[in-house]
Amino acid sequence: MKTFDPVQMAIPFFVVAVFLEILLARLGKTKAHYEPRDTAMSLTMGLGSTIAGLFTAGITFAAALWVYEHRLFTIPMNAVWAWVALFFAEDLTYYWFHRLAHERRVWWASHVNHHTSTHYNLSTALRQTWTGGIAGTWLLWLPLSFLGFPPAMVAIQKGVSLVYQFWIHTESIKRMPRWFEAVFNTPSHHRVHHARNARYLDANYAGILIIWDRMFGTFIPEVDEEPCRYGTVKNLGNFNLLHNVFHEWVGIGKDVVAQPRHALGYIFGPPGWSHDGSRDTSHTLKAKWRARTSAAKAREDTAA
Amino acid sequence: MDKAQIIQLLGSALAIGLMVLLAGWARIARPMPRLTAQGARDLLAVEFPDEPVDAVWIDGDGAGLVARSGDQALVLWRKGDGYVAREAPLSRLSEARLVDGRVRLKLGDGAPRLAVPNGVWPPLELRA
Repeated sequence: MKTFDPVQMAIPFFVVAVFLEILLARLGKTKAHYEPRDTAMSLTMGLGSTIAGLFTAGITFAAALWVYEHRLFTIPMNAVWAWVALFFAEDLTYYWFHRLAHERRVWWASHVNHHTSTHYNLSTALRQTWTGGIAGTWLLWLPLSFLGFPPAMVAIQKGVSLVYQFWIHTESIKRMPRWFEAVFNTPSHHRVHHARNARYLDANYAGILIIWDRMFGTFIPEVDEEPCRYGTVKNLGNFNLLHNVFHEWVGIGKDVVAQPRHALGYIFGPPGWSHDGSRDTSHTLKAKWRARTSAAKAREDTAA
Repeated sequence: MDKAQIIQLLGSALAIGLMVLLAGWARIARPMPRLTAQGARDLLAVEFPDEPVDAVWIDGDGAGLVARSGDQALVLWRKGDGYVAREAPLSRLSEARLVDGRVRLKLGDGAPRLAVPNGVWPPLELRA
């Protein structure tokens, strides 16, 4: 079976879609905000990610091939059932990759730059990592090749997932039909994922299917009374491209040098973890939010 | 890199340039009105929900603020069409020097230059 790269094939579609979103927003036909420097950062990150990927593609593909040579089964690339099985297996793998990428700092360091835009538009989808290859998150896909899925097949499905996730980075679509929202990742679900509001943190890690979040307890619905505010808990203070790419790596380095005895915590702990508890993690931010919400409700009840 | 990849790279760079130009031309960034006293309080409530605010000073451009919260300074300044929030010891910010009617606050990865209209830094609001 001939292989192909869905992402490369979709690039012209990405460009046309961004153009259309900007033009329709300009004409007042859809909801979208674009800030030129933010847009430049997102798009340059996308291009840089493609180039950075070239440097590690050889190693990652060689590793997948080596694992495939020691596979348990031989799964045919031209069988429909194999693609259906891979669709679910790859999407589940993506869920856990994405969850780790948010909940462990060393992987967050390579993923955070996808979340640093304070906008949520189609250009944000292209704000991709430059350091994913170094972070080694690709290792999570190796078990699929060990099971017997050919590495090329896995690469294609990964590309399909990435292309699917492009269109959900928009405020132009409020809600999809209820059955669709129940099963698939949608703009609404993914807006929550990109939100920095305490109530929405660490949620909706899905790639294509939202069912994994529902199964593993990380699903949070978007509620109209609290619009999403986008970006990271601590938004970046500048538009410097290299700062966007490397700031969390530099942060890890500084913390490890300052507290070598706590190096493991600073590398593999959740983002915001500190040895003395002086910083906030998503967990503590959510706890504070719950406390504020409860206190406000208690005041309302007392007043009533 | 082969020739096709180089052509694709150049094409992508050109497309990026055009998209950024289009985004600038469209003027669809979020509106950023001057900060008012109420707007400042609202922003502080969002960015520092657990910090009590003793006093607020808004810069001359209406694009940044410094709030006093005990011995801490809560700083917000405009970046693009949004705001960046940082916290720092008030004593450290008070030591910043005023140059040409502006004070430059060094806050890690950001360094806002806030307009100080009457040439007095730190302003009265930020003095304990």
